[in-house]
Amino acid sequence: MEHRAELQLDSPILASGAFLIIGMELGRDVQIRMASQLNEQSSRESLPSLFIQVPSRTIAGFDCVGHDTVITIPAPATPPPVAAVPAYDDAHIPYALSLSMPASPSGFHLSQLRTASSVRRDEAPAVTKPAGREAEASSPRLLKQTRFHSQPILHASKLLNEPPRRADTTRDKRFDPFKTFSGRLERQLSNLRGHPIDLHSPDSNISEETDQVPGTDRYFDALEGPELDTLRSTEVAVLPSDEKWPFLLRFPISAFGMVLGVSSQAILWKALATAPPTAFLHVSLTVAHVLWYVSLALMGLVSCIYLIKVVFYFEAVRREFYHPIRANFFFAPWIACLFLVQGAPIEMTQVHHGVWYLLMAPIFCLELKIYGQWMSGGQRRLSKVANPSNHLSIVGNFVGALLGAKMGLREGPIFFFAVGLAHYIVLFVTLYQRLPTNVTLPKELHPVFFLFVAAPSVASMAWAKINGKFDNGARVAYFIALFLYMSLAVRINFFRGFRFSLAWWAYTFPMTGASIATITYATEVTNLLTRTLSIGLSGIATVTVAGLLVTTMFHVFVLRDLFPNDVSIAITRRKPKFSKILAHFRSSSSDMKDLVLSVSKSPNSDSDSTTETSVTKGKAEP
Amino acid sequence: METTSGSLKPCGQELSPKGAALADDDGSMLKASAAPNKPPPLLASRFAMLTRFHAGYFRISLALSGQALLWRTLSDSSTEPNALRPVARSLPSAAFALLWCLALLTLVALCALYAARCVLRFPAVRAEFRHHVGMNYLFAPWISWLLLLQATPFLRPETPSYHLLWWAFSLPILVLDVKVYGQWFTRGRKFLSMVANPASHMTVIANLVTARAAAKMGWHEGAVAMFAVGAAHYLVLFVTLYQRFLGSDSLPAMLRPVFFLFFAAPSMASLAWCSISMSFDTGCKMLFFLSLFLFASLVSRPTLFKRAMRRFSVAWWAYSFPLTVLALAAAEYAEGVREPAANVLMLALAVLSVIVTLALMVFTAFRTNELLPHDDPFSAATLPTRRTPSS
Repeated sequence: MEHRAELQLDSPILASGAFLIIGMELGRDVQIRMASQLNEQSSRESLPSLFIQVPSRTIAGFDCVGHDTVITIPAPATPPPVAAVPAYDDAHIPYALSLSMPASPSGFHLSQLRTASSVRRDEAPAVTKPAGREAEASSPRLLKQTRFHSQPILHASKLLNEPPRRADTTRDKRFDPFKTFSGRLERQLSNLRGHPIDLHSPDSNISEETDQVPGTDRYFDALEGPELDTLRSTEVAVLPSDEKWPFLLRFPISAFGMVLGVSSQAILWKALATAPPTAFLHVSLTVAHVLWYVSLALMGLVSCIYLIKVVFYFEAVRREFYHPIRANFFFAPWIACLFLVQGAPIEMTQVHHGVWYLLMAPIFCLELKIYGQWMSGGQRRLSKVANPSNHLSIVGNFVGALLGAKMGLREGPIFFFAVGLAHYIVLFVTLYQRLPTNVTLPKELHPVFFLFVAAPSVASMAWAKINGKFDNGARVAYFIALFLYMSLAVRINFFRGFRFSLAWWAYTFPMTGASIATITYATEVTNLLTRTLSIGLSGIATVTVAGLLVTTMFHVFVLRDLFPNDVSIAITRRKPKFSKILAHFRSSSSDMKDLVLSVSKSPNSDSDSTTETSVTKGKAEP
Repeated sequence: METTSGSLKPCGQELSPKGAALADDDGSMLKASAAPNKPPPLLASRFAMLTRFHAGYFRISLALSGQALLWRTLSDSSTEPNALRPVARSLPSAAFALLWCLALLTLVALCALYAARCVLRFPAVRAEFRHHVGMNYLFAPWISWLLLLQATPFLRPETPSYHLLWWAFSLPILVLDVKVYGQWFTRGRKFLSMVANPASHMTVIANLVTARAAAKMGWHEGAVAMFAVGAAHYLVLFVTLYQRFLGSDSLPAMLRPVFFLFFAAPSMASLAWCSISMSFDTGCKMLFFLSLFLFASLVSRPTLFKRAMRRFSVAWWAYSFPLTVLALAAAEYAEGVREPAANVLMLALAVLSVIVTLALMVFTAFRTNELLPHDDPFSAATLPTRRTPSS
């Protein structure tokens, strides 16, 4: 009876794996069959087409006990959904190769193996020593990592005892380290039940990953794109990237951008209905009220969902907070609340002052944290992380100042205006400089650039309200906003070719803000030009929001990908060494040539050299 | 340079060597000035101290002069009846006179020492001038003199002697301004992005103090001119420091207390503009609020100062002057906006600055040894690499 032995592999094996592929390319007689640890039994019988078999002798470093052993690797195209293997970091092996061996001597015991699963020890000396020596001979550089041994199935007992349960709990366990309570709870429960989870099992590897938040450098290294939300091809996510994660994990903080967009529209339509320059349009206030109720409902919905996410997936929220772009979106809920208060169908002066203090307190605390990070240097200093989304942390000050001035407060609005102005100047200069140390600015224009218009337009309105009239300071700020708007609008051609994301809603409120500022200016200086400008800009803002709404509906109902897997929170803490190979194993098409080429072109110098050395060595072997 | 410091090392061996951290050791001159009844040290060792004494010690005189000005401002009662004014008025004038004398004595002693250092150890002074942190403290003596001038109880701002003294103290500041600010944008290795550090705020504060004194004197144009120079360079410096192009390695960890200058500059600007515009208008309020925010931001980051707080050094005196200036600005704010909350704020900040200064004086009296220098902080051996080598 053939036993399935499980191998804990290491870098030379992976290198040999690469060689396998090359071997496949060269000669069709090499077949690779790899099975996941969980699915050997079932897939062996049910899905033979998934396997490619290769004689183990051809693999450098494998221990060949005499008989022809077959190594099975699953075809990368469609891994079975239940048994997607979790990713490891570079200290542990991502894949479990299962080695079919003839009936093994009784020396292989399950207990022996469980403890030796990830610790590199010579467990079965007779069998592994030649292999070990071979590996040592082939890659002296990786001496400390060259231990590997053939072992029976790691979790065979578990599998035999409770196969269906294993399948269920595996799926949950992968997301456990991101969960606030369940992960620890499950571990405690399984400890109580007498099946202590191996500390070095794959799941706890993930929790090791998530014990600490990745450093800022890791975010920049692992992610790319104008919103830093796309995983680089050389990176591996901690969570499986080929299936849909739980909804809460996919719900980003940038969803609050929707509320920003809709609530600012409510304020715009309120201004259109009440301001003298546009009164001739006879816009009804009902539109503003309807929009306001819609935004209120949306705010309630989004905050409920995000609150649940905070309760159940605190780790994911923490990682979002340390993301260079997403950190700014933590201001969005409070700015949206400020907009809601401003657009409410009640008189501003009637609102209790406590509401203002209550809404500004979280903004103040967030500011202390984020601006302090800019000032004290370190890895989150401004010259490194500056990006247009930082405007979201500045605009909150001006929106608060505007609302406070409308409510009749005096000192508080000036406080926040001063703080906002000082930091806005810093950010403005930094972004205009496009420092070489700054990697987050997209080379091409992206809707995020519209955030440039937000701060000056709201600042002009706030200053006008603080001083009681639209004086020169407010005009200066307004004209700056107008100029920035124009310089972005004429470059509309460059805003093409970007993947839609929910954060785009947040980029519509600057347009709306500019329209409201134009109406405020037109109230002061009323002539044909200003009226035309106010109507024109309001029209553009409304059309943009409507278009965005259509696109969002399209993504929700037709494409069903409004909430894609949020890979930006699932990056590894350390750069995985052979992740490129694995990533391609798991996700690439069956075109092996591409894989070979991509492996050889790996930019990671470590894997490059080792791959090449093992590839050359592998070539010499057979 | 190295031979000089090398030859002086045996003389300095009597002091316990405690590492060669930059600019955080002090001279026994402080002992002499703080406790005049103690016998002065040996002449030879005094000359040894001169090498180690540097302009950073003027932080002490800055702190004391600032305190004197604060007490003067608080005890200058306005005609408006105010619940807290009697409290401030009850500060005994004898205490204020004592403080003023102490400040004057300290300043005179430190200036004498530094003059001796200029005469006897001129290469050291030149090296200090070329250092990106040290050169800012060359403004410190003049700031202290101007503050003391404003705090003088018996000298009214309209008198000719006041005018004369103002000119005497402002001209060096103007000269240093032209030199330092010119370097920022013209000279190769001294570009602002390379040399900017929180101590550079001293240059800005110097301009602003000059502007305030000129405004008090009645010379409006000069005041606005100095304010304009200070404000323009403050803007540039603020942006540059926030960008942190070079990370946090522009300043040694022992000098972290100098970060408090971040909120000293806007407070001083608020005071200066208040004197120029004769009222605490919106601009002054904005500057004051900015400095309050920066103060809150720094105070909520105690880990930033952890390393500097392990050992007492003259850098600790850098805490006092910014707090005093903030309290001064709060006093002006409270007078401009007659609200109870503002008065409470003013009182809290004033008490804080007094406590901090007293604590520092106590520390200095008891731990004078640790203020003694162990190394010439500006010798080529101990300087960080960004300094240009002396001739």
